[in-house]
Amino acid sequence: MATASKAPRATTRRLSSPPGTLGLYAKAALPLIPGASNLPFVAGAGGRIPRTTLTLDGVRTDRDQLAAYDRVCGFTLRDELPSTFVHVQAFPLHMALMTDGKFPFGAVGLVHLRNRITQLRPLGADERYDLRVHTMPIQPHPKGKTFTIVSEAHVDGELVWQDASTMLRRGKGDTSAPKPSKRQSPPATPTCPAPSELPFVALWKLGGDLGRRYGAVSGDRNPIHMHAYSAKLLGFPKAIAHGMWTKARCLAALESTLPDAYTVDVTFKRPILLPAKVAFAAEDGSFAVRNRKDDTKIHLEGTVTAA
Amino acid sequence: MTAGPRRVAVIGGNRIPFARSNSKYAHASNQDMLTAALDGLVARYGLEGERLGEVVAGAVLKHSRDFNLTRETVLGSRLAPETPAYDIQQACGTGLQAINLIANKIALGQIDSGIGGGVDTTSDAPIAVGEELRQILLDANRGRSTQDKLKPFLRFRPQHLAPAPPRNEEPRTGLSMGEHQARTGAEWGITREAQDELTYSSHKNLAAAYERGFNDDLVTPYLGLERDQNLRADTSIEKLAKLKPVFGGKSGTMTAGNSTPLSDGAATVLLGSEEWAEEHRLTPLAWFVDAETAAVDYVNGREGLLMAPAYAVPRMLARNGLRLQEFDLYEVHEAFASQVLSTLKAWEDPAFCQTRLGLDQPLGSIDRSKLNVNGSSLAAGHPFAATGGRIVASLAKALHERGGGRGLISICAAGGQGVVAILEA
Repeated sequence: MATASKAPRATTRRLSSPPGTLGLYAKAALPLIPGASNLPFVAGAGGRIPRTTLTLDGVRTDRDQLAAYDRVCGFTLRDELPSTFVHVQAFPLHMALMTDGKFPFGAVGLVHLRNRITQLRPLGADERYDLRVHTMPIQPHPKGKTFTIVSEAHVDGELVWQDASTMLRRGKGDTSAPKPSKRQSPPATPTCPAPSELPFVALWKLGGDLGRRYGAVSGDRNPIHMHAYSAKLLGFPKAIAHGMWTKARCLAALESTLPDAYTVDVTFKRPILLPAKVAFAAEDGSFAVRNRKDDTKIHLEGTVTAA
Repeated sequence: MTAGPRRVAVIGGNRIPFARSNSKYAHASNQDMLTAALDGLVARYGLEGERLGEVVAGAVLKHSRDFNLTRETVLGSRLAPETPAYDIQQACGTGLQAINLIANKIALGQIDSGIGGGVDTTSDAPIAVGEELRQILLDANRGRSTQDKLKPFLRFRPQHLAPAPPRNEEPRTGLSMGEHQARTGAEWGITREAQDELTYSSHKNLAAAYERGFNDDLVTPYLGLERDQNLRADTSIEKLAKLKPVFGGKSGTMTAGNSTPLSDGAATVLLGSEEWAEEHRLTPLAWFVDAETAAVDYVNGREGLLMAPAYAVPRMLARNGLRLQEFDLYEVHEAFASQVLSTLKAWEDPAFCQTRLGLDQPLGSIDRSKLNVNGSSLAAGHPFAATGGRIVASLAKALHERGGGRGLISICAAGGQGVVAILEA
């Protein structure tokens, strides 16, 4: 664990409008510059995660953005929001939290490990809702440290949607930390087959511009997704598909089978280098995105359960 | 209105020979081909200037400008322009479903006569602009000021000019029909030899049908083609065995020989009530008894894309109190030899019939000498929506020729659907 002087004080910051992600990405990239983290307004210097809660009230849905999002992810355009779309709405708040000067890591280069969304009822596209976003304490991990950002959507004080995104900061790992594969994915049982065993459902052809297209509809313009050149600067051979696009695409494929209230939980196993052809496999609420030729190479695995 | 449903007569059919893609009919549109087939039918049955109850047809691959394809075809034909028409589309089931709709209206007494059929071209295909360019053009079109109209073009990139031809793949699975059938065939253990044998019979039977003049009053020559262009009268099991697999990878069993080729063509069938046929001094070839349509969940339900007819047939048999063996002729559309053989094997399989069809006993096997006796799609080709009309006309004539009997039609379609029907003479 990081050395801590004293426990951070809990604060709540109320935002009046969603922060622009483009400026935040510039800010997010600053910790990559050697020494920049010593500056008070640049993230990466702190040892603990600040106990800040960001709130944004009265969030509205831009119908054009929803239509563009649905098209890129494969959802049918409806008057209800896909549960992953609310994540996109909360994303600027994630960025604002992670680019805060007191935040211990830089946001660029973080690896998305897991995302779990519970929708208690579908949100209507004309409903206004309040977002609350806060971060859970740092956890040790064999490959570094992890933390989880929790987001909630409320309508008139009623919780309707919750999202937990777990991020990995690569670094000196804690070998005593439980291995993620054991902690996060239980072994195959007769009712829950291993992702490599799930029956093939579809072949997806992902274009080289997918990262840019999803970046445009989601505001997540992390350079690792945008272009092979920018991805190379950050250590990836090619641009990689957004984990949350891949999750949304899975959810869109399962659209007709979803109940109104459900939890969809996925772990991101290995990046999808763009362009790509990948296999989608699913059965009885379990699903996976796999290498199209090698069923044992898993990009994403997940489950949907009624909530 | 009459009291009960009326008997529906299949009076006859007419089609143009089916051409291979980008060949004899490369410059013929769907409307050209459907008009040729329809005018041939009109000439054969003396319907010039006649107002029929309805004409129903469709095409699987259709230009958006052909929104009223069948009505436009009627207006350009020798039928009375007062004959109403409409289009339908149910993938490869289009033709048979169109005929079924005509038959139902005749049975109910809403119309006394009608023509059902279909047409398809894979040569004169509706190519669309790419999705990005389409969005730019639509946004520009929505703009009110000149500036609004020009602004979307800032997004234009030269690569947007690449055309988007129709894709031969299921939208929800990303697999072509052949790849789907390769999986189904492997599940049912369909061998290469069995597929090549069925293919050989199809060519042999169609060639024999042409030789004995069976098709003389079913087919009208068009654009220099007198017989189906795909027909290889001289093919052999040995020649077919040499072809390389095209679906299912290197160890696949499906070849360009035992799969239907992309083709162009049109087919039409004339139906009428008993009274209408009598008034017009036309002899019914057969009666259109019943039809059934089924669909399967090939996306999440672990059923094969082309297995819906296996479900439709037992439902139709039960409704008519018939066993699978109580037919004199079987017309199982040969989308792929593997599809026909998978369907027949499923009906023989006790586990499939029990768990999937909910039957105590399997449907059992059929006498293969009664299957596709005048050839089918592997030899004739398969212009998607035209196949139903080809089969109905051909089976009706074959039943009439043998002096009576009962025939079963089974046609699989994209989207996990299947249309089946019973004819009697």
